[in-house]
Amino acid sequence: TAAPSHSVAEEERRARANDREYNEKFQYASNCIKTSKYNILTFLPVNLFEQFQEVANTYFLFLLILQLIPQVSSLSWFTTIVPLVLVLAITAVKDATDDYFRHKSDNQVNNRQSQVLINGSLQQEQWMNVCVGDIIKLENNQFVAVREVALQGNKSLPLFLADRNEETNMKVRQAIPVTSELGDISRLAKFDGEVVCEPPNNKLDRFSGTLYWKESKFPLSNQNTLLRGCVLRNTEWCFGLVVFAGPDTKLMQNSGRTKFKRTSIDRLMNTLVLWIFGFLVCMGVILAIGNAIWEHEVGTRFQAYLPWDEAVDSAFFSGFLSFWSYIIILNTVVPISLYVSVEVIRLGHSYFINWDKKMFCVKRRTPAEARTTTLNEELGQVEYVFSDKTGTLTQNIMVFNKCSISGRSYGDVFDVLGHKAELGERPEPVDFSFNPLADKKFLFWDPTLLEAVKMGDPHTHEFFRLLSLCHTVMSEEKNEGELYYKAQSPDEGALVTAARNFGFVFRSRTPKTITVYEMGIAVTYQLLAILDFNNIRKRMSVIVRNPEGRIRLYCKGADTILLDRLHPSTQELLSTTTDHLNEYAGEGLRTLVLAYKDLDEEYYGEWAQRRLQASLAQDSREDRLASVYEEVESDMLLGATAIEDKLQQGVPETIALLTLANIKIWVLTGDKQETAVNIGYSCKMLTDDMTEVFVVTGHTVLEVREELRKAREKMMDSPYAVGNGLPCPEKCSSAKLTSVLEAVAGEYALVINGHSLAHALEADMELEFLETACACKAVICCRVTPLQKAQVVELVKKHKKAVTLAIGDGANDVSMIKTAHIGVGISGQEGIQAVLASDYSFSQFKFLQRLLLVHGRWSYLRMCKFLCYFFYKNFAFTMVHFWFGFFCGFSAQTVYDQYFITLYNIVYTSLPVLAMGVFDQDVPEQRSMEYPKLYEPGQLNLLFNKREFFICIAQGIYTSVLMFFIPYGVFAEATRDDGTQLADYQSFAVTVATSLVIVVSVQVALSASDTINHFFIWGSLAVYFASPLTWELSRGEQGRPRLPLASPGNAQNTLAQPTVWLTITLTTVVCIMPVVAFRFLKLSLKPDLSDTVRYSQLVRKKQKAQHRCLRRVGRTGSRRSGYAFSHQEGFGELIMSGKNMRLSSLALAGFATRSSSSWIESLRRKKSDSASSPGGGADKPLRG
Amino acid sequence: MKRTSEDGQSKLPDNTALKQQQLPAYRLQLSATGVLSCFFATGVFCLGMGIILILSAKSIKEIEIKYTKICGNCAKLREDATNFDKECTCSIPFYLSETMQVKGEREEIQAYTFLFTVSSCIQDVGNCAPFSKSHDGTPIAPCGAIANSIFNDTIILSYKLNSSIPIKVPMLRSGITWWTDKYVKFQNPSSINLSSAFAGTTKPPCWAKPVYELDGEDPGNNGFLNDDFIVWMRTAAFPTFKKLYRRLNRIQYFIEGLPAGNYSFNITYNFPVTRFKGEKSVVLSTLTWSGGSSLFLGLVYTVTGAVTWLASFSMMAVHLTLKDRKVLFIQQ
Repeated sequence: TAAPSHSVAEEERRARANDREYNEKFQYASNCIKTSKYNILTFLPVNLFEQFQEVANTYFLFLLILQLIPQVSSLSWFTTIVPLVLVLAITAVKDATDDYFRHKSDNQVNNRQSQVLINGSLQQEQWMNVCVGDIIKLENNQFVAVREVALQGNKSLPLFLADRNEETNMKVRQAIPVTSELGDISRLAKFDGEVVCEPPNNKLDRFSGTLYWKESKFPLSNQNTLLRGCVLRNTEWCFGLVVFAGPDTKLMQNSGRTKFKRTSIDRLMNTLVLWIFGFLVCMGVILAIGNAIWEHEVGTRFQAYLPWDEAVDSAFFSGFLSFWSYIIILNTVVPISLYVSVEVIRLGHSYFINWDKKMFCVKRRTPAEARTTTLNEELGQVEYVFSDKTGTLTQNIMVFNKCSISGRSYGDVFDVLGHKAELGERPEPVDFSFNPLADKKFLFWDPTLLEAVKMGDPHTHEFFRLLSLCHTVMSEEKNEGELYYKAQSPDEGALVTAARNFGFVFRSRTPKTITVYEMGIAVTYQLLAILDFNNIRKRMSVIVRNPEGRIRLYCKGADTILLDRLHPSTQELLSTTTDHLNEYAGEGLRTLVLAYKDLDEEYYGEWAQRRLQASLAQDSREDRLASVYEEVESDMLLGATAIEDKLQQGVPETIALLTLANIKIWVLTGDKQETAVNIGYSCKMLTDDMTEVFVVTGHTVLEVREELRKAREKMMDSPYAVGNGLPCPEKCSSAKLTSVLEAVAGEYALVINGHSLAHALEADMELEFLETACACKAVICCRVTPLQKAQVVELVKKHKKAVTLAIGDGANDVSMIKTAHIGVGISGQEGIQAVLASDYSFSQFKFLQRLLLVHGRWSYLRMCKFLCYFFYKNFAFTMVHFWFGFFCGFSAQTVYDQYFITLYNIVYTSLPVLAMGVFDQDVPEQRSMEYPKLYEPGQLNLLFNKREFFICIAQGIYTSVLMFFIPYGVFAEATRDDGTQLADYQSFAVTVATSLVIVVSVQVALSASDTINHFFIWGSLAVYFASPLTWELSRGEQGRPRLPLASPGNAQNTLAQPTVWLTITLTTVVCIMPVVAFRFLKLSLKPDLSDTVRYSQLVRKKQKAQHRCLRRVGRTGSRRSGYAFSHQEGFGELIMSGKNMRLSSLALAGFATRSSSSWIESLRRKKSDSASSPGGGADKPLRG
Repeated sequence: MKRTSEDGQSKLPDNTALKQQQLPAYRLQLSATGVLSCFFATGVFCLGMGIILILSAKSIKEIEIKYTKICGNCAKLREDATNFDKECTCSIPFYLSETMQVKGEREEIQAYTFLFTVSSCIQDVGNCAPFSKSHDGTPIAPCGAIANSIFNDTIILSYKLNSSIPIKVPMLRSGITWWTDKYVKFQNPSSINLSSAFAGTTKPPCWAKPVYELDGEDPGNNGFLNDDFIVWMRTAAFPTFKKLYRRLNRIQYFIEGLPAGNYSFNITYNFPVTRFKGEKSVVLSTLTWSGGSSLFLGLVYTVTGAVTWLASFSMMAVHLTLKDRKVLFIQQ
């Protein structure tokens, strides 16, 4: 992407409003986005320059230059230049199309309209003309063009920002208070504040700056800024001051790929090319020495007929020249088309991924996308999958599932066996039609709860009242009765929605009130305080005054935290609720404990005072507040809720399948241990069949080490390991540990906590941790930070030499996605940051099995086969020159026609091999899902490694030997059937070339499996035989060929000879038969799994055998679940800060008269109404 | 960057067999019966072919006379390049014990020489170096190292009918080149006569006569269209090679071929080989459908056939012993 325009690192940024002249001094980047690399004029030079930076291309350029030296030239110039130009052209076309699309999208973005305040009036400007320091006006649903500081919002509302098109995950922003009062445009036009802030960077969630205006300073934080690429929502308009434009914006700073990933095959290929190059030099040296000797022994006496070149004065120098000549001739062992072919194949595979209907998510209408086209075959070698939990394994959609109200559990009536009943088996859901405000999408299956509500059970009422009051959800009412909730976390939304359906409808809120429709009656509570959630407190409370004037604190929070704070009088209730909690947690539900506390006026007054002091404190404000909160939150237990974090479709099956394919799955989540373990169980990562699940929760280095040691001891289960291995981590090398641990029998799992992980990742313990973890079938790391995620991936990557894949959906997975060999982004609820950083993206976790087991496996297989055949065919082709060298005085004479040399790699044999690389399928896709073990060769890197490479090379050399010596033996003595000479140079060339093309084609055909592939194989062969004909047919006047052909009639004269055909047949038979025999024996003696699968498929076709199905394992067990709230603070502060707190204008329109304008009035009215409400709320007509 | 805001339905991938990778597969199944029968068939074919080839090669009658040593004095004369204008002939008598029966169309005489191949091409003047121009700068026609090294011995075969008068065996010069070479590849420059066409050029250094005077008897056999020249220009692939010199004209006594009796080769020895330890031979040979006598092809075919049979038997043995095990494995 484009670089910032200023070369010197910017230390701070200054932008003065409405002063373009002042801002121009700094030469900040303009808002014109340029992601394209070339324009029409620069394309050719720049693109060529880039292409020649590739070693391979430069190497061929070097060869081309060598060929221009007449003493060295052994081939015509076109044998090198044609392939080189072809390769360059293909790459250039690809680059040009890419750039064309970039130009198009740049233009589209740059020409978007925005309203800019120029000379006191709003004017339409194109995005690219917006400058730093401009004031622009944004309207609802508009894209933010630049990074800007919000100066003024619509009636000082909080601004909502949505990530591109996502409806969920809104971010709240607010305008700077001082500028909010500026009012109309004319005053804004005179605004001359100056913003001084940090230089451009790519941290999305951080911003610090200061606004200098009227000789005072105002702090600016991330809360005040709008990000480029976001959409303004729920706000009619807002004014903003442009701070960063174009390439300096955070979106653009983040969009560049940080690291270029290479596959292991790439690296292997580079090594091999180096080796081949070494081999080439060796051959050149041998032949050069041969040439020197020959010239010395024979050539000197032969000079009457074959004098040396003028430049050549000795046999030695002649040898030196012939070395270079041979380098040119033999260069085809390092084929120029290798790299471009590999790219083409990968591109093809990427398209197959994009095109795959089975990876298309109908619900979201998103196809899978291969965002990188260079990693495909590595998908077939994955050994470790690192997965995020929320949004990846789970849908991140929370559903209110069960609850326990004062000792009675609701919601699980139909679960006799303790199993979650399937959707189809459930009876009708509870009918909420009594409640016009109910959310139609909410489903609940236990009618007893609704009955309890209708009966007016005070506990149940209090329970739902709490749920409708104690939250930071915002409501929006687009039409009367059409409520929409905007929640910071899906958990909260689920709870408030549940309360809404059970007749406690949270309708609206103002900074100081909350209006709830309790069984149809509007009740307005005075909101005294929100004690907001944070990660340490793990609970939130509200203090409200009900219409009767009673002050009550409602609290909800994590069970572990809250149960300790309960009033001792509720012991009995406590134990029942704990039982319920255990039960819920055992089903993998996210639990939450609810409690309340009555406060008297006096106490509250005093407490509020202390709270105010704490909040005004300059230092350690957080701690002080926490302790003040702590004091008031000791509660009476009310009940518990259980929210189902719905697993994504097909997750357990996918995980089971991947496990069978020997892929180890590590879940790295920010969630609590209990939640993570539960999800682990519900998605079958952990099963009750497991021998043991180790839990590492140590807080100190020693504890962690001890826990890891114990785990290993148990796994090894033999006394010698205790004294031998572990107290001395330095001595026992990782190799030894691995060997011991790999032999571990039984299935183990490891659960490690974030703080333990921090110790385990330290340099002296990381190996221990790694070996322990790798011996386990499943690993769950909970409470990990994004950085730790990346560290874990890095650790495995560094020490295991295995291919790692990270999959996640959120911004916190980006580091992990970028670190792993392959990053997969789930395009889901949490925006697109993970997708932007990923190499592959799709919208459901279950597609991973298809990506790996089908596409990955095939890609790897195809790439390996391609490389094998590619090296094979080039060695078979080139080595013939080597053997011929011994018969032509090492004179660098080629065996083949120049045309054949030119076309061999780009026409005659490239397409079959390429088609094999793109289309080959060893077994149908269903089989690779049925037999996950088929994935293993990739993990073990069996199909293309150094050994396989040498086998290919050996086969190639074997072929070349036969290809040369059989025709040699025949031609040496034989004559044509008319008695003329058979052994002329050109006939020999045609014979060798023909048998070579046939042998190579047949070799490919032997393992080709696809119609297209066969088409290309036989098509290429046909082209080979047709090409001399074309030259023949192109003969014009006087029978002379129009094309410059060195030897007209060569091919047909040669191929008309029975002897030649007998030779070709013999060569083919001798080259092919051993291969067939070897394959047949291997099939009989040591068949691959894929061979067996194919064979059994044949057998099955006759037998109609049954399908193997994955057994669904039912799970029982009891674990503790926890309060898995969102990890950010809610809207609490914002709500209580008062002046910013308004509903969206639409909601206001419907409500302004009733509640927000004069809440006291309605409060007074309510007081009289609700005198009778505790008893018979349900019987009251709606709306008092 | 290729984000389009089109309707989601259009993002649904096409349901074509190509895009969904559902094209029908044709994989070569290495089934036991297929492979084994293929091996047996190949074995039979190779063995049969080998035997036929060996038999036909055996049926060929051939006489090879190496005349470098026999004409030793001539060879010595030619070692000194200054003697290029001195003629030297040598006569080699030999006895043909049985008639060289002609089965097919023609009888032939072949000349073996020993030489190293050089890449060059008469049409490509750029590759003619170092024989493109003479010392004084006139272009050489035909240029190039190959043309320069033309084989210029003259061989005449005579038959002593009654042990007294030798009869010159009638030989044909025609039909010893490829049609394409004679009528497409090589063409004389168009002019009134050849000598004017080649005016301004000089003969290659090793040649005794200029290119337009190669054949004194037949004026149509001169210039680039000279048959011997064309034969020579079809470069040999290997250092040891034989080229067709003449074929028998089956008239008079020779309708049935060469009758048994006393013959002699009369060779005008021009081409020097002893300098580079080369050898020259003259060969008389009959022909079969597969060309001249080459045991190599027949032998390799026979060996291949035998090995293929052996392999197929051992493969069958392996297959039969493992058959039961495999069935068990599949049934699991």
